[in-house]
Amino acid sequence: MRSETGFDPALYDRFPTRGSRPKGEEEELRRIWCKPKGWEYLTVVNNNYVGIYYLGTAFLFFLTAGVLALLMRAQLAAPMLEILPQGTYNQVFTMHGTVMMFLFAVPAVEAAGVLLLPQMLAARDLPFPRLSAYAFWAYAVGGLCFFASIFVGLAPDGGWFMYPPLTSKAFSPGINTDFWLLGIGFIEISAIAGAIEIIVGVLRTRAPGMSLDKMPIFAWSMLVFAVMIVIAFPSIILGTLLLEIERALGWPFFDATRGGDPMLWQHLFWFFGHPEVYIIFLPAAGMMSMIVAAVAREELVGYRLIVLAMLATGFISFGVWAHHMFTTGMPPMTTGFFSAASMAVSVPAGLQVFSWIATLAIGKRSFNAPGLFVLGSIIIFVTGGLTGVMVAMVPFDWQAHDSYFIVAHLHYVLIGGMVFPLFAAFYYWIPMVSRRALSEPLAKWIFGLMFSGMNIAFLPMHLAGLQGMPRRVYTYLPGQGLELPNLISTIGAFMLAAGVLLFLIDLARNFRLAPGGGNAGNVYDGGTLEWLPSELYSTRSIPVVRSREPLRDDPKLVDDVAAGRYFLPGSATGLRETIVTSPLLAEPQYLQIMPGPSAWPFAAAVFTAGFFLALTVQAYMFGWVSGVLAVASVLRWLWETDRPVEQAEVDIGAGIMVPTYVTGPSSHGWWAMVILLVVMAMIFIMALFGLAFLWSNQPGFWTPPPKIGAALPVALLYGSALVAALAARRLLPRGAGGSAGLLLLSVLAAGVALWLDWSNWRASGLGPQASGQGATIYALQALQAFAVGTGLLMAAFCAARALRGLVSLPRNNSVDLTMLFLAYTAVQGLVAALFGRAFGMP
Amino acid sequence: MRSWLILLGGLLLWAVHFFLLYGIGEFAGASAASRGAVLLLSGLALGAVGLLARQLLPLDRSDDFARWRAAVALGGLALSALAIAWQALPALIG
Repeated sequence: MRSETGFDPALYDRFPTRGSRPKGEEEELRRIWCKPKGWEYLTVVNNNYVGIYYLGTAFLFFLTAGVLALLMRAQLAAPMLEILPQGTYNQVFTMHGTVMMFLFAVPAVEAAGVLLLPQMLAARDLPFPRLSAYAFWAYAVGGLCFFASIFVGLAPDGGWFMYPPLTSKAFSPGINTDFWLLGIGFIEISAIAGAIEIIVGVLRTRAPGMSLDKMPIFAWSMLVFAVMIVIAFPSIILGTLLLEIERALGWPFFDATRGGDPMLWQHLFWFFGHPEVYIIFLPAAGMMSMIVAAVAREELVGYRLIVLAMLATGFISFGVWAHHMFTTGMPPMTTGFFSAASMAVSVPAGLQVFSWIATLAIGKRSFNAPGLFVLGSIIIFVTGGLTGVMVAMVPFDWQAHDSYFIVAHLHYVLIGGMVFPLFAAFYYWIPMVSRRALSEPLAKWIFGLMFSGMNIAFLPMHLAGLQGMPRRVYTYLPGQGLELPNLISTIGAFMLAAGVLLFLIDLARNFRLAPGGGNAGNVYDGGTLEWLPSELYSTRSIPVVRSREPLRDDPKLVDDVAAGRYFLPGSATGLRETIVTSPLLAEPQYLQIMPGPSAWPFAAAVFTAGFFLALTVQAYMFGWVSGVLAVASVLRWLWETDRPVEQAEVDIGAGIMVPTYVTGPSSHGWWAMVILLVVMAMIFIMALFGLAFLWSNQPGFWTPPPKIGAALPVALLYGSALVAALAARRLLPRGAGGSAGLLLLSVLAAGVALWLDWSNWRASGLGPQASGQGATIYALQALQAFAVGTGLLMAAFCAARALRGLVSLPRNNSVDLTMLFLAYTAVQGLVAALFGRAFGMP
Repeated sequence: MRSWLILLGGLLLWAVHFFLLYGIGEFAGASAASRGAVLLLSGLALGAVGLLARQLLPLDRSDDFARWRAAVALGGLALSALAIAWQALPALIG
């Protein structure tokens, strides 16, 4: 494979360039990527700041959820204690699990991606910096408000997986459950925004020459992680939406007495919930692979196998969701499939562990701070993995299910697989963002306390579980042999907390943020690009990558990059910019003009959070006003983008010319839109699965649907919507007005089709509250209405830009993306109309 | 797109096989016919693995990237073959 895009790889030989760079070039970069002042810290979009904000907030949630864990352990230290009342205990364990999983684990690794990836890939920033800022602020504001619910006794109390019927209106009448459903659904939207940013960032903004086989393992892990989010998270978004609709409007998706099925929730939840474990583990494993190589001062053993293991984990982890449901009475053959897949997924996880052990074994390992946490992680994670294989076996799972054995297993997996690697990463990468490294002597105490505390806390839980102690009980009776293991667990938990407290002290003493340069530097001798000297604009110039560890293989690289002897040594357009490269071989394709700081992503995030929170507390007027303001803020933010610059082509170094504006499948915007459509398609597919599942499990409640022939006008209208959307792009070279008109026509056709489909179902006599079938059919229509409404906004946006002369000819990204969205909307509507009628046809 | 299909072909085969098996188990139940369908599908999937292997083995390995791509693709295919065979066992024994 010589070239992916027609770019001549021989051009790389022009680098490093010779001679000195013009005066003032570096100063101009500093001016363009300047430091924020005062309130600008709220509007900053640069990953150096947003990444730190993100990581700091995630760590704050780790601490708060940890305090909740200590409260639980205090309550369970001895039998029949009354430190926490039963109801409060329910809220505390629900919030502990929810906050750790949703507000700490996923955001922490996403934050690490936002902070590290641009440096590691030698990009100036990720491709959608405003989206990163929006994702962070939405998460921070929404998460803090969600957490605050515990202070007023309104925190959710149904466990972190919120099974109905316990969480239905009948058994949870307050708004506690609504806080979870709306809060978590909303925060997951923020996670998806981050995932889109990471996928496009990793695939399209790598340094020239960094082909997939030379990509750092952490970038690989973040790529697989983000793709998994895109596939898995729509399921929980749909689930929370359906349960909230059931609670608010009485549509019986999960009510078995009215043709719904609570098992549907379990499928939707765990289709997200189990991949979630690997979503958390993979980036941590990526960090481990980077740190192990540095700690052992040896190239990572089995790079190809590790990439393969990550890809395989990404796939096979989607075949294990129902192993959380072995005790629910699933058909035996299905149970067998999930048991087999649960064992199969341990193979790629094992590959990674053996690679780390082999690298440490052959290298010149040193047990410095990251090295200790790496070692601790391997021991703890392997222990959790072994008990995981035990519970993958159905007969054993029947005995251990919902006992403290499971609590022990999941904490070994998550603490070993994510928390210890994260602490290793803190020690390893803090010198990249701080003027001082953390203390090595203190790190040994911290590791000792955390490692021993973790094992003292959770090892006895295996025993307590096998002795019959169920999880989620607020107390237990004396004389059952549970006193000693529980007391030991409590002591261990406080030791673990003492380790974290010492870490905070270390941070307070040594962590001094240096986003604009002057950091402690490459303390642990890493070989990847994040250790190049950098400032707010990232590296002075963007190097050509010729190996996996360029800093080790080319001793002059640091000086050449700092002297501007590689790509983009200054600003070619006087604006923020980065090089967009091809996905496989990272060949330069075009120069992306990047948006700068803006208040609009911040405003959009605050109003989006306001919308969801107001709905939770039933302040509907405030909610709708917030919603409208959120949409207005997003439109205002987008209004400033998608504007070609004067120079159609620029020199990005050594005379290599690239365009500054690209449309179609090569553009980063197109990639992001396609990923967004995958998210929407997954939500839609999970809703279709819901309909099929209810049809299969609740046939007694099924009403014959309207005749499939009646869908013909609906199909014709959706077909017209599709043709109009495609024609809008084709006709753009003849004028923006006609193109925008066709986009609006496409929306109109889709809207009429939806109305016709809805009328058909109303005429059939099936209402949304009649049965699970009715609820699901109208939920599909609601999803379609959302797509049509969004399409209308986008088409109107294009029309407004056409009126203002902001649509570039002959091609324009806003028109392209609106066309893609409307084409998808038409296809989704058509499939919904046919699928709903196909199930239960007479 | 071709490179992505080469890299992920084996794992995509596993995914198609797994979700078809799940569909049979969930919607058709555990009858003798279902077991037969599972075994037939598994045989077809393993056959497809064999065909894919025939396509992948002669792949170009003239540069670093091509060698890496071929190695990851064949590794993924081997892992998928193992998982597909393993996945079929519940229908054989239960």
